[in-house]
Amino acid sequence: MFAFLRRRVYTSLVPLLVVLFGVFLLARLTGDPTNLYLPVSATPDQRAEFAAENGLDKPVLSQMLDYLSGVIHLDFGESLRTGESAAAMALRAFPATLQLAFFTMLLAVIGAVVIGCWAAYRPNSPADRVSSLLSMTAASIPDFWFAITGVWIFAVVLGVLPTSGTGSALSWILPIATLLIRPLGVLTQVVRGAMVSALSAPYVRLARSKGAGDLRVVTHHALRNAAAPALTVAGDLTVGLVNGAVVVEAIFGWPGIGKLMIDAILQRDFAVLQAAVLVTAVSIFVLNILIDAGYALLDARVREKSKV
Amino acid sequence: MSPARSLQQGTRYRAAIAATAAMTVSALAAGCSVANSNHSDAASPDTLRIVLPQEPPTLEPCDASLTSTGVVVRSNITEPLVERNADTGDLEPKLAESWEQTSGNVWTFRIRPGVTFSDGSVFDAADAAFSIDRAVNSTIGCDVDGYVFGDDPLVVAAVDPGTVTVTTPTADPILPLRISFVEMVPTTTDAQDKVREPIGTGPYRVDYWDHGQRLSLVRNDTYWGSVPEYARAIYQWRTEGSVRAAMVTNDEAELATYLGPEDGAGDLGVAYPNNETTALRMQANEPPLDDYRIREAIDYSVNRSGIVKALFQGLGDPAAQLVGSSIVGFDPALQPTPYDPGRAAALVAEAKADGVPVDKEIRLIGRTGQFPKINETIEAIQNALSEAGLNVKIEMMDTAGQMQYQIRPFPDAGPVLLMIQHGNQAGDAQFTVDQYMRSDGYQSYFGTNTYDARIDAAEELVGDARQDAFAAVLADEPTELRQFAYIAHMNAVLAKSPSVRYEPNSATGDEMRLSEMTRADTDASS
Repeated sequence: MFAFLRRRVYTSLVPLLVVLFGVFLLARLTGDPTNLYLPVSATPDQRAEFAAENGLDKPVLSQMLDYLSGVIHLDFGESLRTGESAAAMALRAFPATLQLAFFTMLLAVIGAVVIGCWAAYRPNSPADRVSSLLSMTAASIPDFWFAITGVWIFAVVLGVLPTSGTGSALSWILPIATLLIRPLGVLTQVVRGAMVSALSAPYVRLARSKGAGDLRVVTHHALRNAAAPALTVAGDLTVGLVNGAVVVEAIFGWPGIGKLMIDAILQRDFAVLQAAVLVTAVSIFVLNILIDAGYALLDARVREKSKV
Repeated sequence: MSPARSLQQGTRYRAAIAATAAMTVSALAAGCSVANSNHSDAASPDTLRIVLPQEPPTLEPCDASLTSTGVVVRSNITEPLVERNADTGDLEPKLAESWEQTSGNVWTFRIRPGVTFSDGSVFDAADAAFSIDRAVNSTIGCDVDGYVFGDDPLVVAAVDPGTVTVTTPTADPILPLRISFVEMVPTTTDAQDKVREPIGTGPYRVDYWDHGQRLSLVRNDTYWGSVPEYARAIYQWRTEGSVRAAMVTNDEAELATYLGPEDGAGDLGVAYPNNETTALRMQANEPPLDDYRIREAIDYSVNRSGIVKALFQGLGDPAAQLVGSSIVGFDPALQPTPYDPGRAAALVAEAKADGVPVDKEIRLIGRTGQFPKINETIEAIQNALSEAGLNVKIEMMDTAGQMQYQIRPFPDAGPVLLMIQHGNQAGDAQFTVDQYMRSDGYQSYFGTNTYDARIDAAEELVGDARQDAFAAVLADEPTELRQFAYIAHMNAVLAKSPSVRYEPNSATGDEMRLSEMTRADTDASS
């Protein structure tokens, strides 16, 4: 198991470094931040001074080496906008995203297991239709549209939820509902498919022949074997949530890492953008390892492969 | 399966379930409040909740000419010596009781006694001199310096605690107007660097700033003027106009700014002229735009009335000049260039026959979200220009990207048509023509010595002569330069809760005074 995880850590470091370099280079391709931070009348000397102060006058390769040297010493630079430590800003914003992702996936997993099992057990039942509807909705409706429509219906027309913000427990509902639709739709389909296979497997027929009831067959026999593919997909979806909460956070004013990234991009606040991406990439890296570990726990074949 | 293994697995699953439950409970506990959120947005009769499109990048008073900073800072946290009445255009006393031109290039300001900063320190001429010097003569790069003052340094002196003099290199008839842009700060303010949360003499002071979430101002109990009605103002920011409007209709905010007509404010929406004018700026030193006929054709191709009527839903007026009606120099007699696609096509054809490369690709650059319906406006113009025979490609950029093309030094990037939106906050056409029409203006591609000389002459005048001279300068821009195809004088929309009494004016977009906002359930005359 440890050998498997060790190998997984090594292989994940490569994409992490690629992300680190990629964001650094791409950020600099988006243009010079000088015009955003200096007045229109700034003289060439003032522009040169600003560039020198922020290391923007050096060749990109030299800037990157400076950055990597800082990262090794846990110095991620300062925000051009606020002067605050970029790492502190990223770490302060990240828990808000994580909370959103956690609750969304918790609800998605519970919902997908209930609807997926029901749909698999009773093909063409209402649950089966709900499952198909969710799947189609998830595939066809963009987050942006769903968020704005949710605000209009539940905040403006019905007046039962706040439009945005973080002031009360109710303010969680619309962001989570917006984020939930895609993982719930995808995961329900996965659970349904896996359960259909599992329920027709010989060991389930054997369990039935021994007198096991419907609930016991589903929960104690079929679901355990259907869990592995669902866990893999759930993990990928969680990674997607952490990575893709940008639109939802921007619309709902949610103070997470996605909103921080958007603000940093618009403000050409390179250090903050790099720190935010790094925090996100590391969290995805950790999540992927946890998913693999969970997968290995559930499936002995994975553990065995790691010993080869 | 052996009983031992079954037991082992059962233990593992129970442990996993327990761990999951523990994580859930702890996350739920943490979930009661979002990470890094410390304050609530709860409604209170004494609290005014305002939602803006973006968080102020800073509250630095010398950057208050930036709209997103000034709308929070100016006349709320800090105040100037002199203020301009947005309705009449007149200068009125604020922290200076009076001012006079004591000699050709010297202006003397008499400081109002009995004023204190929100930290309790007394405001006097030394603070005024420090504030002006810091904003104009320092190297900290104040936005107000570039926007309002030229490159020449000022000599500022506190003659005594009640008197400050400002000496300019040459006589400046509108120096008090410029000084109205300098917010007063105490001498204890960092002179070497910008501050994020200033001390001022205004009716409010900063209470807390949860960066990324909300900013709270509370009443300054030592304020020298009338006590404002609301004890607190909480600013929040939401990117989406429809969400901002919904926050007011859903009673989560009392005011929401910078809305489009389609954002859903309904009966709570209030339209007002905001001093902003939209125009296409043409890069006239690059073919085919260096040919006057092509620029004229572009001007004829803009269907101003159609854009205002169909896209802005009537909120605005077709424009014939770059300044609005409240600005010194505005000429009400000027008529917008008529929409004449036939004439435009004929001009392009004529230029083409003379060898002008009309097929060369022209980049039509716009800024995403600069004003409501900008995408549709740009598309309509591109379509019209294509029909006139020009090869125009649209490029939408964010603010930073578009700014590269807006401000000198301009990139070497081929012929460009740039959608600009210019708001003259100062009330005098000088602040427009200096930047947009001089040969070396920060936001001007080109000009002529003759036209520069006319601007110079107008800037030395005062009163009616100044108005007439600038009106003539603006009227002749199309014939002498034709750097712009003016589109519309814009209106803005804000959403206002029925619980608040507030009349927006042409300065509201840049300076939203909390002290002018009162509760609708109180007597307006009290």
